[in-house]
Amino acid sequence: MKKTTAKAVISTFIIGFIFWILITGQAVSILNGKASAEILAAGALVCLAAACFSARFFIHERAFHLFDPRRLGAFLVYCLIIFPVELIRANVDMAFRALSPKLRIDPGIVKIPVGLSSEYGQAMLADSITLTPGTITMDVAEDTEDDNKTYFYIHWIDASAEDPQAAGEAIKGGMEKYIRRIWE
Amino acid sequence: MRIVIDALIVISLFFAFAGTVGMLRMPDFFCRMQSSTNIATLGIVGVIIAGIIYSIVYIGDTSMAVKLCVIGLFYILANPVASHALAKGAYKHAGKSVENLKVDQYGEDMVQEDE
Repeated sequence: MKKTTAKAVISTFIIGFIFWILITGQAVSILNGKASAEILAAGALVCLAAACFSARFFIHERAFHLFDPRRLGAFLVYCLIIFPVELIRANVDMAFRALSPKLRIDPGIVKIPVGLSSEYGQAMLADSITLTPGTITMDVAEDTEDDNKTYFYIHWIDASAEDPQAAGEAIKGGMEKYIRRIWE
Repeated sequence: MRIVIDALIVISLFFAFAGTVGMLRMPDFFCRMQSSTNIATLGIVGVIIAGIIYSIVYIGDTSMAVKLCVIGLFYILANPVASHALAKGAYKHAGKSVENLKVDQYGEDMVQEDE
């Protein structure tokens, strides 16, 4: 278990407070200059307490990494353009697979190499793969002998390639390149 | 605007329908879960986007739209974690007996570790 650092607490507090503002509906009031001070103060207290307890689970390294505007921009581009395109393509493919009379499936569990060293990047790639219909990340393995290369085990509904490199290309598509741009 | 909202809802319904049919037709647990991701992604997100447009254009309540955004965001964040945990747990429980897998590199590596 990692220790709680001040940086991690501050970073968790900022993210928590942003969500508090969004969910209490204060975002619009702040823009109009009519925000209620009591709600904001209560939110700050709760967020600080929550951040003290949960920061060590949430932030492990480089606490302020994402607050750099350039990285935040890349993050938004990924979330709003790159990933939805992949998602819609996979969704259409999967829908027609399920509805086609012959049920074209060919399931298998493949092992693909991952070229990301950051924990956040790996988590984001694994989540993206799981959210795409047709692929589910089952486990993460680290190869300690071969300079800490990371592998994902993926259940794939259409295992057209068994070779790790080829399967990796087919599953990750363009996502890994953009995630590397955000996190490294 | 009305047409956009209706189109989004119809698209979501189509994907939710396809996901349900897939869940009923697929042969084993993992394939069923793959199909259910269909409902979880475009099925839900389409309805949420339609709701956002409706609340801004017809109700005029922006804070409702922001809340819908947050619901969608948490949905997208929480869903893959649950799917992953379910898949891993199911494999640990009954992995060796899963049939009709074309390749199973996970099982192969697990056997090597046991020896």
